[in-house]
Amino acid sequence: MKKNPFGLIATLLLLAILITGACGDRKDTQGQTRIVALSPEVAEIIASLGGTSLLVGVTQECKYPPELAGIKKVGNFGAVSREAVLALKPDLVFTSALEQDALTTDLAKMGLTVKQIYPKKLDDLPLVVLQIGELIGKTEEAKILADSLSSGIAAMRDQTAGKTRPKVYLEIYRDPLMSVSDDSFVGEIIEAAGGDNIFSTLERDYARVSPEAVVKAQPDIIICYSRDSLESILARKGWQDIPAVRSRRVYFETDIDPDLIQQATPRTLEGMRRLYKLFFPSEE
Amino acid sequence: MKRNRIFTLLLVLAGGLVVAFYLFGGGVDANIVTELRLPRLILTVFTGMTLAGIGSVYQLMLANPLAEPYILGISSGSAFGSILFGVLGLTLLMPLGGFIGAVATLLLVWRLAQKKGSFDRSRLLIAGVIAGMFFAAGISLVMYLFQKDTMIILGTLMGNLGHVFTRGEWSFFLVLMGVSLLILAWLWFRAPALDIMSGGDIYAGSVGINVSRVRKEIFVLTSLLIGITVSYAGIIGFVGLIIPHVVRFFVPSGQKRVYLWSLAAGGIFLLLGDLVAKNIAAIELPVGVVTAAVGCPFFVWLMLRK
Repeated sequence: MKKNPFGLIATLLLLAILITGACGDRKDTQGQTRIVALSPEVAEIIASLGGTSLLVGVTQECKYPPELAGIKKVGNFGAVSREAVLALKPDLVFTSALEQDALTTDLAKMGLTVKQIYPKKLDDLPLVVLQIGELIGKTEEAKILADSLSSGIAAMRDQTAGKTRPKVYLEIYRDPLMSVSDDSFVGEIIEAAGGDNIFSTLERDYARVSPEAVVKAQPDIIICYSRDSLESILARKGWQDIPAVRSRRVYFETDIDPDLIQQATPRTLEGMRRLYKLFFPSEE
Repeated sequence: MKRNRIFTLLLVLAGGLVVAFYLFGGGVDANIVTELRLPRLILTVFTGMTLAGIGSVYQLMLANPLAEPYILGISSGSAFGSILFGVLGLTLLMPLGGFIGAVATLLLVWRLAQKKGSFDRSRLLIAGVIAGMFFAAGISLVMYLFQKDTMIILGTLMGNLGHVFTRGEWSFFLVLMGVSLLILAWLWFRAPALDIMSGGDIYAGSVGINVSRVRKEIFVLTSLLIGITVSYAGIIGFVGLIIPHVVRFFVPSGQKRVYLWSLAAGGIFLLLGDLVAKNIAAIELPVGVVTAAVGCPFFVWLMLRK
């Protein structure tokens, strides 16, 4: 039996490389779940459960808390790079719904473990926190946070019960005018904080509305996220008789951060409290 | 002659009915009628008139039955400017962005369409289509980069007559509209020259018409008009293409009359389209979808009858 020393060496070398490679890989992931979160809501919840160190990838929109800044970005919410996600070798990927529906299917096809999380109702928020906590191994932290959220929501509901609710118009676009229904998350937050959304029912959660309908509804408060200015809203043709315009109760991003009320996160409680202050200023 | 009279009668009746429903439908108070519905009606009628009028001019000038106001690319440039301003957060300045886009496209097409001072129609057509494609690509890019603002973009691309005017904006729009009406009147006076030019450039030249110059003037002035309509109402397809053809079915010849009837029919048709768009479904539909859905079957019927 003739031995080929080169062949043997080559085989050994190859083996060595394979083993060290595999070990290196294992060390990297040992004990630590590698998580990619593609929606700002889930990223924020993970961070508030103390799981920032588990995150290996997020999207451009994941800006809160600021500690997320150092984590690799795999695209923006509506345009996630599938390749970049795969390259991070995640054990778990969190996606959202709507624009990310197709992405969810794609990532699952690529063999990744994908969890789609899209809290649409206020009461889903504590449940989602528990679910995420379990998935990332932060069950205890999640229980504490979920309990405080549940009691905060309940307290807010008690506080607003029986009050005269101001009529609220939330404008998310100006041209064409768009608002939200009570079925949207932000619509429910407005209601929970004691406001009466003038467009309770719309065909979709976020839908076009006519200026006529706004004028007819006579809102007491306008929350304007359509990048319009106070002067311009006051000067809109036909809007002068709206109570909110007459009493200048028009609020903008600077008065209430949209992220606090449009996204289902632990900060939602803070958002509701701020809304409450806008709705019932006399209680201050 | 008889057909002509029927058309007149139909138009007047339809117009009266549509205006009445548009303004007073659903029983609302005076404030809403004068401050919200009337401005929208004026914007709609003006847009419809302009689109159909320019459509009739282009079909003759470019000797192409498929020509419509958007064929020379101005609308894409205008929409691009308007959308760009919108996604950058300058929502109030969107009409200005639209106008800048229109003028930029105008200059580009102007440059491309000219060769040694001549301004022939195939060059103009090709230049327009190229410019249109270029800006359409720009719109796609902006759409991809700013997915959150899809509604602003769709509002512009599918037509949105519900522009929210502030008082200042409204006065400014009225001034623009005044200028536009003057241009529309000027186009009426150019109608005989267009008729002659449709017999061929050489023939028109032989009877003393400076063909290249007329084409330039018409191109520049109509581009400004299109820029204004797209800036405020977005892109509304179909009106500019089909209305002149429908009019020609009733008024077979003479650009002067075809043009006038196109103005009238375009205004009323778009008003009807908007009325339907606002009321047919629980949600307001994009007016461009309605104009196509109502107009195409009607045109098919007209063609089959003929």
